[in-house]
Amino acid sequence: MARLIDRRMGVFLAGLFILTVALPMASSAAAGQLVPAYLVSLVGKYLCYALLAVALDLVWGFCGILSLGHGAFFALGGYAMGMYLMRQIGPRGVYGDPVLPDFMVFLNWQELPWFWLGFDRFWFAALMVMAAPGLLAFVFGWFAFRSRVSGVYLSIITQAMTYALMLAFFRNEMGFGGNNGLTDFKDILGLDLTAASTRTGLFVASAVALAGGLMIARWITASRLGRVLVAIRDAEERTRFLGYRVEHYKLFVFTVSAAMAGVAGALYVPQVGIINPGEFSPANSIEIVIWVALGGRGTLIGAALGAFLVTLAKTVLTGWLPELWLFALGGLFIMVTLWLPGGVLGAIETGLTRLRAFASMRTKEIET
Amino acid sequence: MKRRQFLKGSVAASAFLAAPALVRAQTAPIKVGILHSLSGTMAISETTLKDVMLMLIEQQNRAGGLLGRPLEAVVVDPASDWPLFAEKARELIEKDQVAAVFGCWTSVSRKSVLPVFKELNNLLFYPVQYEGEESERNVFYTGAAPNQQAIPAVDYLMSEDGGGVERWVLAGTDYVYPRTTNKILEAYLKSRGVAPEDIMINYTPFGHSDWQTIVSDIKAFGSAGKKTAVVSTINGDANVPFYKELANQGISAEDIPVVAFSVGEEELAGLDTAPLVGHLAAWNYFMSVDTPENADFIAKWHAFIGDESRVTNDPMEAHYIGFNMWVKAVEKAGTTDPDAVIDAIVGVSVPNLTGGFSTMMPNRHITKPVLVGEIQENGQFSVVWETPGLVVGDAWSDYLPDSAKLISDWRAPMSCGNFNVELGRCGGA
Amino acid sequence: MKIVLCLPFRPYLAALLMALLVVLPAAGRTAGFEELVERLPHGSYADRAKVIDAISRTGDPRAAEVLNALLEGRLHARKDDGRIVILVDSAGGATAIDALSGENLGGVLAGSTEKIKTNNRLRGMLRTAIGALSLMSPDRETRLMAAQSVFASGDPANIEALDAALAAESDRQVATALAEARAVAILDTDAPVEEKRAAVAILRARGDAAAQAALAPHASDPAIGNEVREALSRIEQAQRVWAIAQNVWYGLSLGSVLMLAAIGLAITFGVMGVINMAHGELVMLGAYTTFAVQEAIRGAAPWLFDWSLLIAAPLAVLVAGSVGIAIERGIVRHLYGRPLETLLATWGVSLILQQAVRTIFGPNNREVGNPSWMSGAFEIGQMTVTWSRLWILIFALAVFFALLLVLRRSFFGLQMRAVTQNRPMAAEMGIDTGRIDALTFGLGAGIAGLAGVALSQIDNVSPNLGQSYIVDSFMVVVFGGAGNLWGAFAGAFGLGITNKLLEPWTGAVLGKILMLVFIILFIQKRPRGLFALRGRAAEA
Repeated sequence: MARLIDRRMGVFLAGLFILTVALPMASSAAAGQLVPAYLVSLVGKYLCYALLAVALDLVWGFCGILSLGHGAFFALGGYAMGMYLMRQIGPRGVYGDPVLPDFMVFLNWQELPWFWLGFDRFWFAALMVMAAPGLLAFVFGWFAFRSRVSGVYLSIITQAMTYALMLAFFRNEMGFGGNNGLTDFKDILGLDLTAASTRTGLFVASAVALAGGLMIARWITASRLGRVLVAIRDAEERTRFLGYRVEHYKLFVFTVSAAMAGVAGALYVPQVGIINPGEFSPANSIEIVIWVALGGRGTLIGAALGAFLVTLAKTVLTGWLPELWLFALGGLFIMVTLWLPGGVLGAIETGLTRLRAFASMRTKEIET
Repeated sequence: MKRRQFLKGSVAASAFLAAPALVRAQTAPIKVGILHSLSGTMAISETTLKDVMLMLIEQQNRAGGLLGRPLEAVVVDPASDWPLFAEKARELIEKDQVAAVFGCWTSVSRKSVLPVFKELNNLLFYPVQYEGEESERNVFYTGAAPNQQAIPAVDYLMSEDGGGVERWVLAGTDYVYPRTTNKILEAYLKSRGVAPEDIMINYTPFGHSDWQTIVSDIKAFGSAGKKTAVVSTINGDANVPFYKELANQGISAEDIPVVAFSVGEEELAGLDTAPLVGHLAAWNYFMSVDTPENADFIAKWHAFIGDESRVTNDPMEAHYIGFNMWVKAVEKAGTTDPDAVIDAIVGVSVPNLTGGFSTMMPNRHITKPVLVGEIQENGQFSVVWETPGLVVGDAWSDYLPDSAKLISDWRAPMSCGNFNVELGRCGGA
Repeated sequence: MKIVLCLPFRPYLAALLMALLVVLPAAGRTAGFEELVERLPHGSYADRAKVIDAISRTGDPRAAEVLNALLEGRLHARKDDGRIVILVDSAGGATAIDALSGENLGGVLAGSTEKIKTNNRLRGMLRTAIGALSLMSPDRETRLMAAQSVFASGDPANIEALDAALAAESDRQVATALAEARAVAILDTDAPVEEKRAAVAILRARGDAAAQAALAPHASDPAIGNEVREALSRIEQAQRVWAIAQNVWYGLSLGSVLMLAAIGLAITFGVMGVINMAHGELVMLGAYTTFAVQEAIRGAAPWLFDWSLLIAAPLAVLVAGSVGIAIERGIVRHLYGRPLETLLATWGVSLILQQAVRTIFGPNNREVGNPSWMSGAFEIGQMTVTWSRLWILIFALAVFFALLLVLRRSFFGLQMRAVTQNRPMAAEMGIDTGRIDALTFGLGAGIAGLAGVALSQIDNVSPNLGQSYIVDSFMVVVFGGAGNLWGAFAGAFGLGITNKLLEPWTGAVLGKILMLVFIILFIQKRPRGLFALRGRAAEA
């Protein structure tokens, strides 16, 4: 255990813990709303993005699989949760149909499609949140890794995958609400989604999931398995010649990562209130890659940090500079790649090391 | 300008010394949220609406503000990203404390912000034609419902003047608005005695740019001897290549007219309209409408935007109507408190730009005239038909079986948007 | 539940009936040509329809000109005295000509006359009426158009005119058109069976959808039903074959668009290994360059309009190419050896370029016109080929082969291949690798700009233009095999044709999904694309 939590991770988890405790308290009525209540959901959303970034960093940073389709796994997890939330509405939809969601009623569907069955139970939905993206990743990866598709070819076919899913989910006939997606959720596990307590609960759950995701990723990468992964990343052919079944390792980590992305999506949906095919768009998946690259690839914490920073920047800039924010964001991306090759985390660490070196030099100077 | 601001500031400052709390409440600006995408795929349509809102707010301020207080626009960019719409709506209401929000274009963006407006009890004015099947307490639909656009347009084409169309192609982008509108139209056409084999339905993905196959299918379908028309619910972006292909394949409006519900002056501005003369659009407003109100609006718009070549369109008129309704309702209520304004706004009637008055109905939709226009060479529409009176927006279509049972009336005692006449109660809880 | 304040139709029908009552007796009195023309601006469309019909029956020699002016929107009524005038474009604006006397009334001020409005139905009527009136026109094109519009109307009333025209016609194509028009009309009369059979044969020879539509109502005719049914089934068979050819053509055309969009990427991504997410925006810059050139031409030299694309093409290469070189020198240069990070940086560039264009040109679509040689279509058998698509195909092929030539035969191409194959060795040989990198990237970007010129002809010119092609471009390059121009060629046309052959079966949405699934499966079979590089370079 001790090996799992190094200093960096310790600092990050401690920070996360403080945030998790402090934010809901500060926003509560008892504290006189030191910070506005909407920050809880907003930061909760960031935490989901951070988990998604960690999932991607696990495959990209440690195994060299640049997935341009991780948004698909995120969205599938989100849809699984969304379907549960839709079923929870029950007869409270606008048409008052006891079973069918509203969008099925007005498109004149007579009965629930088979793939919606079971989603009225939370345990089933929770299982599907991980199983659906996991299964897709398993099947996709099984084919792709066995055929030794790698590098940009793999990246582009993952992009094709998410693009195809986006078009498919846009279709109303698919039974997932078409372009409007799933929305108008009312409650989760019997708790009102708009209640502050439910919001806090989801926020805490997201924080726990992020911490859990980080620990799992850390555990995988720090184990013997993790070292094989890094070997694959750096010299795939050589690892294969050493007798490792490269495709099995890749498949394992790809599937775990997809399930993790699914969990992130599932926690994201109730906090945002909508899931729609836009989440599958290739641009969204590219954005995930950007979070990881910006934060620092192969560091896990950096990925989480990157997601946090970019989405925060987006929130702030779209409100503050609505007409210019793309310039600012684009410029940021360029500057980070040019001047911070290790990402933000790398920069912080270099800074810290220098500071420490400087400090120790000063102490030495004082000592002498 | 500077001096005026200074004067205002100094008056405020001196007043501030006299009676701080009271005066601040009386002179602090009323904030109005503008929630339109300024980047991403929808920026192409929504940016103009942001500008028109800024213009309306500026005019209102020049005319003395509202309740003696100036208005202040709060502009944010939801970047055509639907979850971001919800986030920004929350930010506008909770952080900026806006009194009302004008925004959204796509249905999905409206669906995305809907829970936020319900929860935080604020007002959203939604200016775009949409598929209907919604009536919420906090949303005011100033665009057309299907019965204010689609059905009258089809009626016109069926009439002798419209060419007596007997065969129909319903072509749309594959998402909720075209699907629902086409479902309604299909039911309506069948109720008017059109045989199922005379209806062809076709869907294409968003941003579809290669129309060769579909246009030639339409051509083939239209050469069966009966007068054929295309009802297009093709989404904004895909229209330009669609019309270019129509023109190039030589389908003229006299052979197979295309009537569109999402093509207005703004979309035509990106096209050479000479080969498209005669194709139609159905809206509640055209820039070419010859009324003094419209001339005034266009002049002000040109002055505001500083470009004589900019056009006006239907959603802009919808914002014009919506904004004036809100202003009137706030004056009537004497406060910007959402509950009071929501109660006050039903029945409020303001001039529209086509020479009549539009009224906010209890179902959150407004009354509008329906105009059918033909495309002219100059990129404008010439009105060839209009409803003799105003049509009330119908939230729940009569042509969909489950929706025909619902009525909406947000006044007490019913106070709900989906009263089921069969069950005798409101849906949802 | 629908609260309709006014029923849209009933009062309207009443108005129509009233109009009929007013107009019919007037027309029955066989009002003179002058009186009829003067009545044109008044009443509803239905009234106007009656008047037009009456005018075409007067047989007055001025009828064709007046109706033609009405069709073209040049027939106006003067606001002051109500005189009906035909507006003719002249050097200093419009000149008015009295529609009845032909007297030149001099220039008119804008707004002093009011256009007599028409709608689709009236324009359709006008075309038929003018057709019947201009069958004997001295101009061959006019006669052909006239024959075609008479064909479309199929009105037996025109048979006499057609007979007369046929007798006088010397041009074979026009004569065929006239005979076909006559055949359609004959079928609706009680002409002898023999004559009808001949008509069926003529239409069968024509063999298109219009002939099909003309024949279909007579399939159950006791006298000629057999012949009609046989003709119909023959036409159908032929149409099926033509439909395949048509779809292949559509596929070629789609392929050429894909290739244009992807070929620049095949250089920056395929050859240099830079994941250039700003590629789409470079295409967009090319399209906006075309727009700017056309704007300038419209303002300064309208007669140059047909040349606008030829002027825009080199400028687009220059604009997109220099932006490309700037990107390479400013950013990408620092990232060689870190290929994936180019993705992050170029994504940033793409955001900036998009927003820059939005700020400069506004967020709306911009109008880029088709020059006259790119408008319209022509027929090959039963197949329609649009000029714009044909030129784009030719253009795409020209760009491709020119590029191939540059890479294979020029000194720059040699240096470029040397640098991509073995950079240190190339540097040792004295090649300025930095310069070559910049030029290669600039070449890829310039070609993206050229693609933009072509795409501006068939698609939106908006800040989103690039985004809609970037995903497809990457698919094409990867499908074909990165690093090989022929791969991009085969990839683009392969995907284009497959897509278009699928589309009639599956619809556009499903067709696209199937294409993507196909690409995913195909890459399993050939993990390095269609034209994989072999040897050591493949592993690098």
